[in-house]
Amino acid sequence: MTKITNKSIHIKTQPLEYDAIVVGSGITGGWAAKEFCEKGLKTLLVERGRPVEHKKDYIGEGVKTWEMPFRGQVEKALVEKQYPVQAQCYAFNDATKHFFGNDHDYPYSTEKDKPFSWIRGNQLGGKSLLWHRQSYRWSDFDFNANAKDGYGTDWPIRYKDIQDWYDYVEHHVGISGSVENIPQLPDSKFLPPFEFNTVEKRLKAKIEQNYSDRKLIMGRCAHLSKPAQHHLEQGRGPCMARNECQKGCSFGAYFSTQSSTLPAAQKTGNLTVATNSIVHSVIYDANSNRATGVRIIDSETMQTREYYGKVVFLCASTLGTTQIMLNSVSETFPNGIANSSGVLGHYLMDHCYNAGAYADIPGFEDEFYSGRRPTGVYMPRFQNLVDKNPDFLRGYAFSGQAYREAWWEFGGKKGFGVDYKKAIQQAGGWKFGLHASGEMLPRYENQVSLHATKKDKWGIPQLHFDCSYSDNEKKMMQSAADTAAEMFEAIGLKNVHKYTNDRPMGIAIHEMGTARMGKDPKTSILNGFNQAHDIPNLFVTDGACMASSAWQNPSLTYMALTVRACDFAVKEMKAGRI
Amino acid sequence: MMKENVMDNAADQVTDKLTASETLSQVDTSRRRAMKQLTALFGGALSMSSISLAVQGYQAQKDIPGRTGKILNPQQLNLLRILVGLIIPATETPSASDVDVHGFIDNQLAFCFSKEEQLAFIRGLEKLQSTAVKQLGQAFAKCHQAQQVDLLNNLLSDLEDASGDFDSKDKDFFYRTKSLTLLGYYTSEIGATRELAYLPIPGGYRGNVPFDEVGKAWALN
Ligand SMILES: Cc1cc2nc3c(=O)[nH]c(=O)nc-3n(C[C@H](O)[C@H](O)[C@H](O)COP(=O)(O)OP(=O)(O)OC[C@H]3O[C@@H](n4cnc5c(N)ncnc54)[C@H](O)[C@@H]3O)c2cc1C
Ligand code: SF4
Repeated sequence: MTKITNKSIHIKTQPLEYDAIVVGSGITGGWAAKEFCEKGLKTLLVERGRPVEHKKDYIGEGVKTWEMPFRGQVEKALVEKQYPVQAQCYAFNDATKHFFGNDHDYPYSTEKDKPFSWIRGNQLGGKSLLWHRQSYRWSDFDFNANAKDGYGTDWPIRYKDIQDWYDYVEHHVGISGSVENIPQLPDSKFLPPFEFNTVEKRLKAKIEQNYSDRKLIMGRCAHLSKPAQHHLEQGRGPCMARNECQKGCSFGAYFSTQSSTLPAAQKTGNLTVATNSIVHSVIYDANSNRATGVRIIDSETMQTREYYGKVVFLCASTLGTTQIMLNSVSETFPNGIANSSGVLGHYLMDHCYNAGAYADIPGFEDEFYSGRRPTGVYMPRFQNLVDKNPDFLRGYAFSGQAYREAWWEFGGKKGFGVDYKKAIQQAGGWKFGLHASGEMLPRYENQVSLHATKKDKWGIPQLHFDCSYSDNEKKMMQSAADTAAEMFEAIGLKNVHKYTNDRPMGIAIHEMGTARMGKDPKTSILNGFNQAHDIPNLFVTDGACMASSAWQNPSLTYMALTVRACDFAVKEMKAGRI
Repeated sequence: MMKENVMDNAADQVTDKLTASETLSQVDTSRRRAMKQLTALFGGALSMSSISLAVQGYQAQKDIPGRTGKILNPQQLNLLRILVGLIIPATETPSASDVDVHGFIDNQLAFCFSKEEQLAFIRGLEKLQSTAVKQLGQAFAKCHQAQQVDLLNNLLSDLEDASGDFDSKDKDFFYRTKSLTLLGYYTSEIGATRELAYLPIPGGYRGNVPFDEVGKAWALN
């Protein structure tokens, strides 16, 4: 594996014209860079954040609790100054905080009474370092959804169009999971699944006995449960079940840009990486109707420069890409590049993770587990597939796990003293929870735009959010809470509690839809190959392209769409159409 | 809970969030319970480990008489020392006060909590002190251990406290103290590795393990 040093990736000026420019080095940008490089294109990967070197820069990894200044908590003054939004993310702690965006430097605004929590990872690797690695294919239930109920625009593609590309990325990434033959959740090419624990096995049997429409399966995740030879050759090793992945993993056992796509791209000798390079806008040439490159602001020196390329791929995350596009104005495109339709920034979606239930499981005191499984159990969507739910459109999945209560859950329990200490040492009772992941409808009124006056410290206009969940999501969440609780009662769990909450959009960290695909150039930005309807050599392959949100975690689908778009773009270049 | 602007209400949300001590918090609203579940599920905030290169980790200190804290005065720190020792006393392993959990809490209060939270904590300590004086005629530290335990049981009692001295704020204070004590103790080297089972690199996940094979709860669950 070629070693990536900060020097070799840290270029300052570059007169060359590249074959391909990829903006953003997260999950999608890493894939685009790998694909282009392996297809022989001289590729420039542009990243606004700092370089992060695999292993070396995982400064939180493996640090013992008692060596941490605040035992994992983050100093209040630092949170208030730099991370007031990021700190809302469950994965934010003292060992991971440096992989989260700095709210002070990257400000944004929201409409009154409509909060949005924009969770970001702004460094080489983007959010690929931080993601939870849950990986699920979409099915035709999802690609048909808009056409069926009329929300959003019909997808220009169907499952058969990306099926082979799922296969392709899964082979490289390594997805652990089990073959289940569930129509709404097609199987991936799997590495072995993680184990159920004893209690989960029992619950699985009971649930599946009671409900013919529900299955409890092992969560599918981008972890090398049992690496294949080609994974080992990538320099990656088997997962140790620490579940501390968001600190960075020197075993390379979970998929990230650093562990997987970047070394592959680097190996070809075709890759150049420009870090600390904020893309201000895409350069557009009206005569040729082509994107000719990108304008950069150096985040450290504030200097500006330009890079040129034959094809431009925007992979800067849904909202990062949207910001760049809105800020790329010209006579032809006064409202943002490739925005002749006017839908750029509209139809913003996130998932809705605001409901669930949990309960006690009596007994099983003699049972335990060893290791910290980096995934949970999963119940794929079972609503609105055959029968129609009277309360809401589309659906949700559940994820959860059974576990024994650990020391931190005794703080709220009665008692103190010797017996209390002994009880903690003997581990608490078993708990089980299921938490909903719901689909959000695409709606025109959910919009991000550039703020009229507010700018960041580099002079780039800030994003302004005007979006919220609709009644459909709220009713879906209420129903999910009720359904989980009923199910728990039915299978004999005790102390059943259900909940809904009103956490803002953004916090599910699956924002998508603001430069959507569609069949009609008048109502969409991209065609079915992620190519801008208006400009043939401009592509968007991050979540901005999504025409609906489905209920599954989206990143695996972003990957499949990205490699498919790369393949298409190269063919078009060869055919002389780009 | 929805407020004007994310940035504006961020401070609120931060206290609401799943930092370790919040997870340990006594406030058993369904919201927080749910959040706790989510965290447990995702493992995020709880598989704690970190460094912040500029700041040194809190180093346990010796108890010299009259020792002052960062937030607490010598008397308050001494009262807290007794309190954490009552919550997690010595067994085959040392107590919370033996590993300076009181010093840890004082440090944590200074850096990770708001002014109001610091004041509420101090108010709680002072209230315990004044109630000891009122009911038992002497400082909490001077009371017999049995008297101290009675006083705390009285505070925690679900029934209306007969003396009328303790209220829900005092309960909140004691639960917060318990949570912080657990955080300080079970993330200390002794608490994590001697009192509990400690496996930093498990080498894989096994779902069916007899409890006896491990024999203790995991420090990292
Ligand atoms: C805690 C957490 C858990 C998650 N769990 C899951 C999960 O289990 N499953 C799942 O599918 N998804 C999950 N996600 C979401 C997942 O991380 C994203 O969907 C994915 O990373 C998106 O990939 P991307 O390439 O579009 O964007 P990113 O990975 O965010 O990368 C975008 C990159 O572009 C850079 N960039 C932005 N603007 C500019 C600019 N102007 N100029 C230059 N560079 C720029 C950014 O700095 C960043 O490096 C999770 C996310 C988080 C934070
Ligand atoms: S659980 Fe697996 S992927 Fe995550 S940090 Fe541990 S070894 Fe790495």
